[in-house]
Amino acid sequence: MTVKTLAVFRKEAIDTLRDGRSIFAIFVFPFLLYPAMLLFISWMHMKEAEEAKALEVRVGVVGGATLPFLADSLAAISGVTPVPLDAPPASMETAGVNAVLVVPAGILESIARGDSARVQLLYKEADNKSSAAAGRVEPILDQVREALTVSWAQSHGAHTDAPPRLVVEMKDISLKSETGRYVAALLIPFLLMIMVAAGAMQTAIDATAGEKERSTLETLLATSASRTEILLGKCAAVLAAAITGAVTGVTGLWFTFAVVAKAFPTMSSPFELTIGPDKLIWLFLTLLPTAVFLTAVLVAIGCFARSMREGQTYATYVYMVATFLGLGSLGQQTPPLSRFFIPLLNTALLQREILTNSVQMLHAAAAVGVTAAAAAVMLTIAVRLFSNESVLFRT
Amino acid sequence: MIEVQKLLKTFHDRKRGEVAAVQDVSFVCQPGKVFGLLGRNGAGKTTTLRMLATILGPTSGTAKVAGHDIIQEPAAVRRAIGYLSGETKLYDRLTGRELLEYFGALASMGSSAIAARIEELRGPFGLGDFLDKRVGKMSTGMKQRLSISRVVFHDPQVLIFDEPTAGLDVIGARAVLSLIQDLKKKGRTVIYSTHIMTEAERICDEIAIIERGRILAQGTVESLLQRANQDSLEDVFVEVVGSVDGDR
Repeated sequence: MTVKTLAVFRKEAIDTLRDGRSIFAIFVFPFLLYPAMLLFISWMHMKEAEEAKALEVRVGVVGGATLPFLADSLAAISGVTPVPLDAPPASMETAGVNAVLVVPAGILESIARGDSARVQLLYKEADNKSSAAAGRVEPILDQVREALTVSWAQSHGAHTDAPPRLVVEMKDISLKSETGRYVAALLIPFLLMIMVAAGAMQTAIDATAGEKERSTLETLLATSASRTEILLGKCAAVLAAAITGAVTGVTGLWFTFAVVAKAFPTMSSPFELTIGPDKLIWLFLTLLPTAVFLTAVLVAIGCFARSMREGQTYATYVYMVATFLGLGSLGQQTPPLSRFFIPLLNTALLQREILTNSVQMLHAAAAVGVTAAAAAVMLTIAVRLFSNESVLFRT
Repeated sequence: MIEVQKLLKTFHDRKRGEVAAVQDVSFVCQPGKVFGLLGRNGAGKTTTLRMLATILGPTSGTAKVAGHDIIQEPAAVRRAIGYLSGETKLYDRLTGRELLEYFGALASMGSSAIAARIEELRGPFGLGDFLDKRVGKMSTGMKQRLSISRVVFHDPQVLIFDEPTAGLDVIGARAVLSLIQDLKKKGRTVIYSTHIMTEAERICDEIAIIERGRILAQGTVESLLQRANQDSLEDVFVEVVGSVDGDR
C-alpha cells in the first residue's frame, strides 16, 4: 500500500466514521435491532399463549354417546364448551362451532370385529380460533385412543379397564452447546454475508458515486496520486467497513443471546451460542476473500453509476444476490463440489463446514481459490472503470 | 510553462455520433503570465483545462505542462499543477486541517512538511479561525479560502483555474483574482478560463477566445481591441463569436 493509497484510505475512513448512516448500519443496528427483535418475538409468543388460553371455544361432538366420558372431559377443559351434534356439519361457521370431534357410529362393534376405525378432530389451521380449539382438545384424543383400546381388549376377553402405559417417543438429547453450534452453523454464515454486503454498500457508493455527485472527483483526479492508488485506497476503506460490519454483526448476535436473553429469564435461550477462537479466526480468514470480492463489485458499481441514487439501486441488487446466496448455509446436507465454485455461496457453505467440524479440504480449496480469483478480477475491473474517462464522466 | 499543440478531443454521442468538444487548439503560456481562455458555456474551456490537468486524455495532439508531456508523463504533470474549478466542492465531513493534510499527502508531502505548510498558510489565507471546523459547517467565504489554500498547498509551478469565481460574491471573486495576481508576481504559470470579460481584462496577459471548441482569436487585450477596432473586450468577444453564430 503506497502512502497516497493510505492517505485515501484514511480520508475515506474518517468520512465513513462521520457519516451517521454508516455508523448506524455498522455499529448501532446489530446491538439495537437484534435484541429488539428477540424481545419483540418473545413478547409476541407470550401474548399469543395468554390470548389462546383466554379464548372461549365451542367444540362439536358427533357420536358422543358412544364414548360417554367425552362430554365431561371436554367440559373440564377451561374455555371449552361441548356442543352435541348429530352429524359432521357442512360448515363449522353455520353450526357455530370452532372444531368438531367425530366418533363414527358403531365404532365399538367395528373394532370388536377387527375392522379399522377412525376418530377425527376436524378444525381449520388457517383459522386462529379453530386452531386454538384443536390445540385445547388434542389431549382428549389420547383418552379416546385408550378407551377404544380397552373396548377392543374387552371384546377379546381381556379383563381390564385401562391399557398399559406405553410411551414411544423421539427425544432430542443434544446439549445446549451442541444445539448452539447447529444454530450457529445455520445462521452465522448467512448473517456474515449480509452484514459484509450491508457494511460495504454505503461506503462504496459514497466513496465513488458520491464523489461524482458532490463534485469532488475532479479535484482528486488532478492530484499526483494515480487512479490505481486512489481506487485501492477507497477499496481498503470499503473493505474495513465491510469487515467491521461483519464483526459487529456477529458480536451483536452473541450479545443478544448471551447477554440480553439471559437478562430476561422468561426468554431463556434453548441453546448456548459459543464459538471457539480457532473457529473465529477461520471464519475471518474465509470471509476475507468474499469481503474483497463484494467490495470490488460495489466499488465498480459506484464508479459506473452517474449518481448515488443510481449506485444505490444497483448495489441493492448485489445485496439481494448476496442474501440469496448466503441462504445456502441454511441447508443441512453435504453439498456437491460444484457449489463451491459459486462465489458467496461457496463461502457460506465452507463456513457452515467450519462451524460443524466437517471441513473437506477440496471444498475449502475450491471456495477460497475461486473467491480470491473472482476478487482479483473484480478489482481489476474496478481499477479499469475508474481509469476510464468515458465511464467516470458519463452523463 | 504550458505549450499546447493541436489538441483535439472528441466524445461519442448516441444521437450525433462523434462530437468534437475541442479541435486544433494551440497556444503557449509563459511563466509569470496569466493566459485567459474566454468563451461561452460549452465552448470547450473546461475540456481543454481538464486535458491539461490530465483528468481527460486528448483524442489527438498533445501539450507540455512544466516541461512534462500530458500523454507520456501525466503523473509528473499532476505533481506540477494546482487545479481549481468553480464547480468543484470540498469534503463536508473533513475539517479544514484534515482536508489540507489529505491533499498534502496526495502531493507526496511528508507529515512535518504538511504541518509546516499549514502554519505558513494559516495567516496569509486567514485560516486560523476555522481550520479545525468541519467544511460542511463553513461559510462560503471560508470554503473559498480553504479551496485556494488547497490549490497552492504543494506550491505548484503551474496553476489551472476553471471559472474559479463562479458562484462567488464580489469579495470572494476579488480574493481569487488577487491570489492570481500574486501567483503571477511569483513567476508561476497561470491559465484561467472565464466568461466574465472584466475579469479577463483585469488579470490576463494574453487571451484566447474559444467557441465551439476552436480558438477564434488570440493575443493580448490591446492587440485584440486594435484588431477588431473595438473599445471593450466584450465588443470584441461579441463580434468574434457572432461571426461564428452567423455561420450556423
